[in-house]
Amino acid sequence: MRKTKRWVWWAGASALIAITVVGSAIGATGAKTQVLTMSIGAEPPSLDPGLATDTTSSNILLNIMEPLVKLGPAPELKALPAAASSWSVKGKVVNLKLNPAVRWTNGQPVTSADYVYSWLRTISPELGADYAYQFYGIAGAEAYNGCDPKKSNCNALKNKVGIKANGKYGLTITLTSPQPWFIQQLSHHSFLPVNKAAVAKYGNKFTEPQNIVTDGPFKLSAWKHDASMTLTKNTKWRNASSVKLDRINLQIITDASTALNAFKAGNISIDTTGFNPSDIPALKKTPEWKVYKALGTYYYGFNVKNISDVNQRRAMSFAIDRKAIVKYITQAGQVPARGFTPPGIAGGPIILKNAFNPPTHQTAKAKQYMSQVKNPKKDIHLYINNSPGHINIATAVQAFWKELGLNVQIKVQEWKQYLEFLGPPPNSDVDVYRLGWIYDYPDAQNGLVLWTCGSGNNNTNWCNKKYDALIAKANNTPNANARYLLYQQAENLLSGPNGDMPLMPIYWYTYTALVSQKVKGFSINPMDQWDYSTISVS
Amino acid sequence: MSEPDVATPKSATERRGHGVDRPLLRRRQEFEDALSRTASARGAEAGASLPRASLWGDAFHRFMKNKASVVAAVAFLALLAFVIIVPFVSNEDPYALDFSQAYQSPSWEHPFGTDQFGRDLLVRTALGGRVSFGIGFAATFMIMLVGIVYGATAGFFGGQVDNALMRFLDALYGLPYLPFAILVLAVFGTVNFWTMVVALTVASWFTAARVVRGQIITLKQNDYVRAAYAVGARGPRVLYRHLLINTLGLIIVFVFLELPGVILGEAFLSFLGLGINPPKASWGTLAQDGYTAYATHPYIIVIPSVCIAWLILSAFFIADGLRDALDPRTKEA
Amino acid sequence: MLAFIIRRIFWTIPVLLLVILMTFLLMKLIKGNPFQVTERPVPPAIQANLDRKFHLDQPWWAQYLYYVRDVATFNLGPSLVQRNQDVNDVVKEHLPVSIKLGVMAILFAIVLGIPLGLYAALRHNSVGDYAAMTFANIGFALPSFLVATLLIYFFALRLKDYTHLPTNGWEGPSSYVLPVIALGIYPMTYFARLVRGTVLETMQQDYIRTAKAKGLRWKVVVGKHVLRNSLIPVVTAAGPILGYLITGSFIVEFIFGIPGIGRYYVTSVTGRDYSVVMGITVLLSVIIIVANLVVDILYGYLDPRTRDERT
Repeated sequence: MRKTKRWVWWAGASALIAITVVGSAIGATGAKTQVLTMSIGAEPPSLDPGLATDTTSSNILLNIMEPLVKLGPAPELKALPAAASSWSVKGKVVNLKLNPAVRWTNGQPVTSADYVYSWLRTISPELGADYAYQFYGIAGAEAYNGCDPKKSNCNALKNKVGIKANGKYGLTITLTSPQPWFIQQLSHHSFLPVNKAAVAKYGNKFTEPQNIVTDGPFKLSAWKHDASMTLTKNTKWRNASSVKLDRINLQIITDASTALNAFKAGNISIDTTGFNPSDIPALKKTPEWKVYKALGTYYYGFNVKNISDVNQRRAMSFAIDRKAIVKYITQAGQVPARGFTPPGIAGGPIILKNAFNPPTHQTAKAKQYMSQVKNPKKDIHLYINNSPGHINIATAVQAFWKELGLNVQIKVQEWKQYLEFLGPPPNSDVDVYRLGWIYDYPDAQNGLVLWTCGSGNNNTNWCNKKYDALIAKANNTPNANARYLLYQQAENLLSGPNGDMPLMPIYWYTYTALVSQKVKGFSINPMDQWDYSTISVS
Repeated sequence: MSEPDVATPKSATERRGHGVDRPLLRRRQEFEDALSRTASARGAEAGASLPRASLWGDAFHRFMKNKASVVAAVAFLALLAFVIIVPFVSNEDPYALDFSQAYQSPSWEHPFGTDQFGRDLLVRTALGGRVSFGIGFAATFMIMLVGIVYGATAGFFGGQVDNALMRFLDALYGLPYLPFAILVLAVFGTVNFWTMVVALTVASWFTAARVVRGQIITLKQNDYVRAAYAVGARGPRVLYRHLLINTLGLIIVFVFLELPGVILGEAFLSFLGLGINPPKASWGTLAQDGYTAYATHPYIIVIPSVCIAWLILSAFFIADGLRDALDPRTKEA
Repeated sequence: MLAFIIRRIFWTIPVLLLVILMTFLLMKLIKGNPFQVTERPVPPAIQANLDRKFHLDQPWWAQYLYYVRDVATFNLGPSLVQRNQDVNDVVKEHLPVSIKLGVMAILFAIVLGIPLGLYAALRHNSVGDYAAMTFANIGFALPSFLVATLLIYFFALRLKDYTHLPTNGWEGPSSYVLPVIALGIYPMTYFARLVRGTVLETMQQDYIRTAKAKGLRWKVVVGKHVLRNSLIPVVTAAGPILGYLITGSFIVEFIFGIPGIGRYYVTSVTGRDYSVVMGITVLLSVIIIVANLVVDILYGYLDPRTRDERT
């Protein structure tokens, strides 16, 4: 008995010593290298700039690659030189000068030929890129993308695309019309180049860490699918001396509570997975809780064929308590939306001047509007897609509308089915539907164009020629202030006192994160991007 | 004689159960044991031409002697009563929002607490139970219906028909249960009471069909059925009068074995986000609600889950007792 | 026996073809565009490019034949959504995780379940028996999502200062502990009940009574006769249960964030990733069929006598 005890004691003691030694060894090396561990909410579906469509992939791409331009501080989000050192715009023709210091991780310079190859690859009908439409503003791109290689020879169309190399470091782009936002649009990940040699050698496996060739401040050094990714500092990047982080561990955690537990345990320093509303009240009291403004709007659209009286639509908008929704349901600092265009966008305050959706419910006014409706639609079918957040909001809206005497049935569909159901035109059973819009590029046009008659996102059956004319006119107005005034008139038609109210905005999105106080320099810009090259860990 | 399948089942699989999924595993394994016993018991009984009334009376007495089963039956009825009565007597509105009452822990006023909208969870749990029970009974009924029609057709006609129907069933057994149900629900797109019932039925009627077929074949060889044929009775009449009626005891056992499996299946699907439309709820969707708040308000997930466990256990012990009660050969423990 | 095995293996081919056909038709019935990921509509030209790339512009039977041909050559095709991955990659990456989880869970169940059942049977009608069976019944009835959630609740929130068991992910043995318990507790209670039942039954048998009467030591009787006979149902049940654990671990994978095949399957159905759904369904079917086949073989091989006796 005694003997055993001693044995156990010795084993325990030596284990303790071993742990201390190993632990301090790790601690010693940890002091020198800067490592950031954070959670991301999903596995990036693709790190091919041509094929990536989601923000997770986009964010990683923009840190392992160097975009042509970077966006400056909000709200202007001005284009700043990055891989392109300068540019000039003359009407429909854009000339870019590339920075010769930008190099692939294999040591080769990134040249204009790389961009021409990459962009034509994305536009090509063979690749089948979802985001090829990002290039539709370039002359000839849409025609080449729509070519059927089985039926015709597409090479002629390929040569007509307005993307030409102009020397080793010059790029000339011809647009279909002057597009004032085009330079800003170049910050989108679709415009990043791919390395031709890597693509040729590895095919669709070129994005794996052992194959990928990149040109940004970080390198993809490991990728365990659906588990984790590791980025390490690219010491040969042109500005490597300014980059402080040596390594970034990205933990793919899809579940909010799991990510929160990991953050609380100190296993991750930044949590961007998302949060359960029930956890937020406590988190709000901590200094780690961060809210960032987003360019995006959460809205309910009306099928104006079914709810045809504008006064009923106004009544329904005035009956809901947006403040209660963001305070008690979503909880993440969202802003009750007066109009569709988010205020954080360039020209936002001008555009939203007359938007009049109230932040809290005005039941008396709503009832007054309702009394003017000749043939009110009392049975409302509210369609939403399947997610707890949407279900909770719809549950609240249903209760608010009950006070107007409306009998609301919530119909939940699964996302893909839902999209098909909404059309456009929407299934006739849809009276109200929910959707959100996150801006692709920081110009109000990107959101307002949704409500034109032919738009694939206009699921309301609402069509107003005057509105379309305003948007068309704005597309050809390079002067920013003049454009904002045109947008204001368009916004008036959507959400002004005399507007048609084909949709009712509910709130403007925010991005939230838990950021440990050890992390310096982290912020999410309105396009849901962050820049690892400015972050340090103490 | 012409059915060698029956005396020695084609393969052990048919008897041991594929056990692919949890509800099925439980159902088949327990069930088929139950079955072989009841089937022969009923055969023996019928052969001995005992009066029907005494059979049921005896069964009732035997059931009442099994303490565990009686307790289970009381527990089951109590749960059913809770689910039915509470919404009538409660003056809480299960759908009205009151954010000032959100996330109240269990108290005298709200014995089960409240959810994120301040809705009383006692009445919502009871209403959710109605939906869960409703789906459970409806799906069990559908499963039996489909199973009896399919199994009886196969068993009664035998030969090539039987062979073809059974091989098709083999293929269905190759499909994993939950994935199959998820696919069927996705075909419907929306989840409501009936689509859920259909999905659960489609994914789990095979056992019933196979069991009914086996039973019919066993009975077909019994002397009294042969006698019926011999005196000139016609096919459908024999099928109904002698074969289906004689599987009745079995069917009652089956209900209690199938019900928990179906309700658990509904809960799993709801938990994966494929539950019925709000503001209605089932125990599964209530549990899913609770899951998103387990860290701060664990009672929300515990309560509906315990209801499900309660149901599973009580139904299981009832089935156990019924099986023994309907099988006079079982020793009295 | 050999002929029986060969016949069964041969039978799996038409069964698999039918499984593929049914999954395929179901997938065709499901509405929704695999290529529309967000509310942004897919321009017709891009849709046409994608349809062409993945053969979706062909009639359904041609697609089915393409698919069967691919499966026959062990190539499950490209994923429609994860554009840089083939279904083979997906399977290679995720299936081993699910298998590992399933195997560990069943080992957990056997190692704890058999002694528990044996203990309960040998102490029949004692307090220990009741306690063990109460535990087994509760474990049997609690839905796995509650077990998993409670494990996380206690280990991540209440006991985090004493234990350092990860409650998420699949990296290193310490992260295996909680998911294995959550997944293994049901089969464990199942085995416990099974063993208890068969041991009690075996002890009623004449030869055990004879052995006892002959004056053999009780330990020897239990070890040599009772236990061995009671393990037969355990062995035969283990196959299908393993199949269930591998194919049915959705919830546990979902809650613990384990990159297994079950979690991937659910996201693929919602993403309309036809090729991945088909590929995984085929694989799961193969696992089930093989598990059943193994049971049949084991069952016939282990004890033909049992077979006659129990029928």
